[in-house]
Amino acid sequence: MVLDVTAKTDKGTVVNMGKKEYWEIGLDAEGDHRLGAWQIKDIIDLTLPPRKTTKETFVTELPADTKNAEVEVKVTYFPAPNKPIEVHKVVKKLNFER
Amino acid sequence: MKPLKVLLVIVLVLLPATAFAEYKSINELAKAYSDETCKQCHSKIYDEWKSSYHSQSIVHSLPGLRAFIVNGLGKEWNKPVNREHIMRCMNCHAPQLKDASEPLIKQISDLIVAAVDEKDEAKKESAKKELAKLNVNCVTCHNTKAVVEKNLRGAAQKDVYYSPAGRKSPAHKTEMSPAMERPLFCGQCHGAYTPPDGDVVICNTLYESYQNAYKANGGTETCQDCHMKKNNRGHTFPGAYQLDIVQEGIGLDAQVVGTKLHPGKWVPSIIANIGLINRAGHRIPDG
Repeated sequence: MVLDVTAKTDKGTVVNMGKKEYWEIGLDAEGDHRLGAWQIKDIIDLTLPPRKTTKETFVTELPADTKNAEVEVKVTYFPAPNKPIEVHKVVKKLNFER
Repeated sequence: MKPLKVLLVIVLVLLPATAFAEYKSINELAKAYSDETCKQCHSKIYDEWKSSYHSQSIVHSLPGLRAFIVNGLGKEWNKPVNREHIMRCMNCHAPQLKDASEPLIKQISDLIVAAVDEKDEAKKESAKKELAKLNVNCVTCHNTKAVVEKNLRGAAQKDVYYSPAGRKSPAHKTEMSPAMERPLFCGQCHGAYTPPDGDVVICNTLYESYQNAYKANGGTETCQDCHMKKNNRGHTFPGAYQLDIVQEGIGLDAQVVGTKLHPGKWVPSIIANIGLINRAGHRIPDG
């Protein structure tokens, strides 16, 4: 699962504020299992735990002449490699003139 | 000699047929565990199941099964591809393979590898078509895996269909298995388990996460509550591929503010505080 935060300024500049991945390690980019199942779960847990809120903070500076920006926060779930499902997308508009 | 012959006849008659079942072809095996008669009376449930990933338990998991055969057995452990080792996976993905002959096990394993690696598309599709006949079907849950507390209730009996209520049917023998309404029933496959070769496999720790994280944090819903009862999901068992249940499970709280940092320079800046809320009964992602 991927959390993506991107900002786009009024001048069209795109700034990648940050990306966080939550996944079961052991699968490579092609979806092949590189680690045995017992190795995966015993080593490390990179997933979201149940009944908990996982918090991430991203801070980004924009070009000095930016007056407005639009921030997109997107959560994408990959039930299988190269098969994304967009779960949530939130867009916030910001103004920097004051 | 005569007492020995009598004894042999008695043994052959009294022992369950499945003790000696060793099917030699996929079609024979599929027929022995057929769900075709189930759909005559349970057509709605059958159609629900047919849309679920239980009905595709081998073909949907081909990359992982292939990796186990090629990388695990073939390279890492240097073990033969036989029933003892294949059942580590198939005890959950297609439990009926416990009744397959060794040559059939080898044939099925070759088909799994072909279904992933074969360059000839027609042969690849042909392999998948054969493998699609084997899956987690009505017999798997309502007989093979139906009785969880075996010491208490005995193993599942041949030709008996189990359900939580054990409602009587004129069409077949029925018995009650209350555990089918409990998460432990799902946890037989969707959790850490001991396959027939005695090792411990942690292929899928959903149940462990359910017990040690969800329930430990006060959760009270069961697997069946979310994946069957809610929204009349029934035997579709939705999961990671269905947007509505994924959205139910993952919440997003996006607090975003624009400000200016670095006094003197006053650089336009964005601060985004994101909260990802896991409302599911287990870790995400997992499955």
